[in-house]
Amino acid sequence: MLRTISALALASSLLVPAAMADEAEAETCLKAKIWDGYSDGWAVRTATSATLDQGAYRIYLVTLYAGNEYKILACADGKAKNVDLVLHDADGNVVVQDDSSDRQPVLTYTPTTTDTYFVAVHATELEGEGTQAGIGMAVTYR
Amino acid sequence: MSQKWTRGMFLSLALASGLVACTGETPTEQPPKQPPAEQPAKAPVPADVDKATLAAQAENIALVPSPAEMQKALDRAGITADLAAKVPDRKLKMDVPNKDQVAVRTGVILADLLLTVKSAEKAKLSSHLAEIKTGMGELGAGSDIAATIDDLDGQIQNDSISRDDLVKELDQLSGAVIPEIEYEAGERSVPLIQAGSWLEGANLVAGAIIESGKYDNATDLLKQPAVVGYFQSYVKTEGQDKAPSEVISQLETTLNTLADVCTHEKLSEEDVQTIHTSTAAVLDLL
Repeated sequence: MLRTISALALASSLLVPAAMADEAEAETCLKAKIWDGYSDGWAVRTATSATLDQGAYRIYLVTLYAGNEYKILACADGKAKNVDLVLHDADGNVVVQDDSSDRQPVLTYTPTTTDTYFVAVHATELEGEGTQAGIGMAVTYR
Repeated sequence: MSQKWTRGMFLSLALASGLVACTGETPTEQPPKQPPAEQPAKAPVPADVDKATLAAQAENIALVPSPAEMQKALDRAGITADLAAKVPDRKLKMDVPNKDQVAVRTGVILADLLLTVKSAEKAKLSSHLAEIKTGMGELGAGSDIAATIDDLDGQIQNDSISRDDLVKELDQLSGAVIPEIEYEAGERSVPLIQAGSWLEGANLVAGAIIESGKYDNATDLLKQPAVVGYFQSYVKTEGQDKAPSEVISQLETTLNTLADVCTHEKLSEEDVQTIHTSTAAVLDLL
């Protein structure tokens, strides 16, 4: 599996022009973070990736269990300067957001009741006009 | 961080300047001011997104909790039940003509595998992996996933992978690889695989709650209207050209029952019994 993914990542990085978004780079970064998390008891529910323009965002619906600890991670390729994560409740209110200005934001949250939430992944700042970035997002729990 | 923090500092400075300007006086003989304590600036919400937009644009790929996550929630709720020990010793036929059924069956076996990966014998793990491989093949998932499963099985047989690493690989397979594949069988494949896994997990959790008699946490453990609604949108049989299979027909009935239960503010003992019975009604047909 590791070999398969590494081979795919390598193939993708060779095929994608330097100025283009590189989801494979984002996925490799995300996978390393997910793998590291297992040593602290984190497991992964979902990992996915997308290519975003500057200022664009992706929204993911998530069910979070009361009492479980959640860590939501994002990793972007080198074309991104600042990626932001925001967790909204079912009414759209902001529950928690990351306060970093880098391309690998992390959110942690422990709900008191089981409910549906929205995770917003924002490509807040990329390297320049017309740039796209590959961004991976994972929902982990423990 | 630096940019947002700088913006906050700028606002503080501007506010201080404004206060001075409003007095119309030059402050004299004031005691030397202490520099204000640094307050962490609250980051602005990027491109604030309203509820309607969130709902309209949300993707469902991360919506459904995994069976292992259900076990964790059960533990956190103080219900000491080992779901792995409750997984029935089943073997499902995957090469059936109806692809919807194949997807549901694949999801159920995937859940069984995820729950038992730490304790199951090698032969059982191999058997489950073989079933999943056949199921994925029937759904037209492509050859990469088959090779990945073969690779995993080889590592299990050679004892070249630890159970902890196997957990990681199977989490990845279930949560990142399978949902992202494009299936020849169509877009219903992913939600129906997820439905199979979730149904198996919900059935086991409901059974564990009944056994423990601890119904106070049932709402937090089983009430998931958005998940049920997501599955319902893919199994609606009304208006379809061909008659649905018995399994899919029962799945639709079960989901309608679960949707009704989810309208209750707090789940009762009777609701948990209903969830257990109605989820078993699908699983028993497989």
